[in-house]
Amino acid sequence: MITCEQCRELIEQYIEGVISDTQLDELKAHAETCDACREGFERFNLMQNAIREAFSSETSAAEARETLLGRISEQAVRHVREIGAGQSRVGWGRIAVAASILLVVGLAIGFAVGRADSSKRGVALAAEVPIQVGNLEGTVLVRHAGMDVWDILKPGSVIRLGDKFHSTARSGFALELDDKSTIELNQNSMLVLKSYNGETQFFLEHGECTASLESPHGPFFIDTPNGRVEALGTEFTVTVE
Amino acid sequence: MADDHKDILDDEMLIREALSGEIAAFGAIVERYWNMVVALAMSKAADPSEAEDIAQDSFLKAYSHLHNLKDRSRFAGWLAKIAMQECSNTVRRAIRSKAALGGRVTDRDVLDAIPARWSNPGLSGSQIQLIRRMLRQMPAKLRKIIIMRFVAGLSSVQIAEQLGKRPGTVRVWLHRAYNILRKDLAPVIEEIES
Repeated sequence: MITCEQCRELIEQYIEGVISDTQLDELKAHAETCDACREGFERFNLMQNAIREAFSSETSAAEARETLLGRISEQAVRHVREIGAGQSRVGWGRIAVAASILLVVGLAIGFAVGRADSSKRGVALAAEVPIQVGNLEGTVLVRHAGMDVWDILKPGSVIRLGDKFHSTARSGFALELDDKSTIELNQNSMLVLKSYNGETQFFLEHGECTASLESPHGPFFIDTPNGRVEALGTEFTVTVE
Repeated sequence: MADDHKDILDDEMLIREALSGEIAAFGAIVERYWNMVVALAMSKAADPSEAEDIAQDSFLKAYSHLHNLKDRSRFAGWLAKIAMQECSNTVRRAIRSKAALGGRVTDRDVLDAIPARWSNPGLSGSQIQLIRRMLRQMPAKLRKIIIMRFVAGLSSVQIAEQLGKRPGTVRVWLHRAYNILRKDLAPVIEEIES
């Protein structure tokens, strides 16, 4: 058993946060038999808890993390858009051929066939849509329509109409549709679930996504700022620079 | 809580990942130091909600300047410095805007008298006010050490490393600060004990 003088030294080390587990056990054992040392030991713990409480945050660290990641992500997206606007002018000629083919096909089928048989075109409109999250890797952020806060997408997250997804660097995920089809969003991409005529529309703002569709499938589109892309086969990739 | 050297090593690893574009790594840093930064801001800015705004701005500034951080093992000290700078900027802006509007600048003691906005099960509103006021009256260097030790859970050795001071110096400052607190907060601690 240690002496009171040794115990006082251990309390000093405890205050400094440099005490070992063995020393802490010795301190506690001594404090149980000595009122003066126990008071010194307990006083520090009370003081530490009181300071922590008086200076505690209303927002938990986990909530702060999600809010801040959302703000960082939004800043990054703004940055990407600013750069993207400049680059698109330079690279427009290169993507013009692909975009025009896709646009013509998309417009022709999308508005003629799609309007005539719109019930098969997408997923039924609802506040909650029957879409599941799959193959989640890295950090993907989601923002519900009308909300300011970005949340971190989780495997069981409920998907709602108007949701905006942002996959950060080295991340990605798949939206599993109710008919076994999937849309995989690659890293550094942004996809929005928009509502059009009571149905879910997939709008790729930037980045890359790959759709794998069950065969046979009805008309299926992915919209982009450059035009509408229609699936003619069962698998296709859309890139928005 | 950062109670051993492993966390400091983790800071360096997380910073490296954050700089390579993995923002989730920065999220882990936020989670680790959120309470410390809020407490630092609260110890200088009276309003708790303002302190949270300052804390958020401090983290955003740290993220955007992360590539400028030379010694990644001293991230917490660097972050604390940013938080203190953000506090000074906020207070200066508030004084300037109030003066421009011809209004009076609210004294910190008056703001301290505003009760806590949320209920703390352990402490009464008046106890919280007293603790905050006592800590704010301390010299800035002692206040910072108390928060890094009591709220962030860093040891005196880690604090010395973060602040670029000798461990002996931080040890002396920590005990000096603790003795001041023990004396000034004796009535509160006795109330809690009883």
